[in-house]
Amino acid sequence: MKGIAAVLLVTFAAICQVTVAPLFPISAAVPEFVLLSLAVVTAFGNPRRGMVCVPVAAIAYGFLSDRAPGLLLLAYLPLLPLSLYLEQATVPLNHFARTMLAVLITGGWARTLLVLGTVVGGATAPVGSVIGQVLIPGLFLDFALLAIVYVPLRLVGWSGQGMSLQRGTYYSSL
Amino acid sequence: MLIFQRYSWWVAAMIGLALFLALVGQVGALGPFQGLFLNVTSPVEKVLNGTFRPIAGLLSNAGEIGSVRDENNRLRIENEDLRNQVTELQQNAAQIKDLQDALNLTQGDKSLQYLAGNIVHRDASPFTDVVTIDRGKGDGVQVGMVVLSTKGTLLGKVTKVTGTNAFVRLITDTQSRVTAEVLGTGADGSVRGTPGRGLSFDLAQGEIAVGDTLISAGLGGSYPRGLPIGRVSAVSGTNQDLYKKVTIEPGVRISTAETVLVLTSFIPETLDLAP
Repeated sequence: MKGIAAVLLVTFAAICQVTVAPLFPISAAVPEFVLLSLAVVTAFGNPRRGMVCVPVAAIAYGFLSDRAPGLLLLAYLPLLPLSLYLEQATVPLNHFARTMLAVLITGGWARTLLVLGTVVGGATAPVGSVIGQVLIPGLFLDFALLAIVYVPLRLVGWSGQGMSLQRGTYYSSL
Repeated sequence: MLIFQRYSWWVAAMIGLALFLALVGQVGALGPFQGLFLNVTSPVEKVLNGTFRPIAGLLSNAGEIGSVRDENNRLRIENEDLRNQVTELQQNAAQIKDLQDALNLTQGDKSLQYLAGNIVHRDASPFTDVVTIDRGKGDGVQVGMVVLSTKGTLLGKVTKVTGTNAFVRLITDTQSRVTAEVLGTGADGSVRGTPGRGLSFDLAQGEIAVGDTLISAGLGGSYPRGLPIGRVSAVSGTNQDLYKKVTIEPGVRISTAETVLVLTSFIPETLDLAP
């Protein structure tokens, strides 16, 4: 049941990405609701739910925006392995810092990859514009939105989950 | 690497899925699923649009009171100037009609047909600007058709169509190019989208000045000639530059447009209608 709720959440986030997000741009960047929803699912659900939701979100967002779903899938792909890597890194980071770092790195990767996609399609993308209009405002938005969402969820009692995969619990985790 | 030990099969499966999606997307096999998905999600989109669009409009206007005041003053002066021009043009029009009749000139298809559609959602990032409208194959919309604002300003071109929806790449998208000319002077070049959903003009030949009006040149067959695009808002650069940097103010505020017109009577030369 929680698995279905997670899928519905990321699908709703994809709809918000093409309806609500363009209405509230900062500089020229827009909030990444899809990445944010995936971060919430993996941080407060469990990694297996995230493994299902990443392709669902990519396909839903691709269908709604007419972007290539395959490219979007590659854009969101690092979120889970990166979260696990940060969890097991020697540098001690708490759950919020790990989640934030994973979202920021994935957000930067996703935006860069999508810009490259448009360049392949014939667009011109000066490096200055990519950094000044895409990456910096985008990362600021990711940071702000995750902080706005994360803190209330912890306050209402949701606890952050680890990213390690346990054998034999796939179906029970859904 | 520990992460690859734990997630290796999933990462491999996702890369495989991405390649599979790219392949089936190329052959158009995703189209029916996309159409179905758009149908299912459209009620939610309408609710979200109806809720957040007025809020965004309010915030936008509140943040622009100063610039709106300046714009209003500028428009008052411009309005008076335009009224004078209209009077002059009306006098010229009668004279031109007489000359056309005399020369038996034809200007192509004069019976332009439009199809109105609503923007249901928009995918906007600094480098892309694509909107989805609630008209599709069932309404006669086809890839390549030109889309205008309700006032007739060029907005973009249909790039993909499903049964009930069509995706329109706006001229502010960085992948868009429109051959254009300066009204009156004959200077021409190419209008292209710039990062941040703006417009610039690569002047190929001729002179250009702030305030000049740009219209589509019709070269290449993708757009009909004479569609208004916008006005020149800034010109910078020297004579030594290959291109002067010309910034264009679109003729319509694209971000708040809700209704568009699909020009169904114009068939681009690249459009293949053979069964």
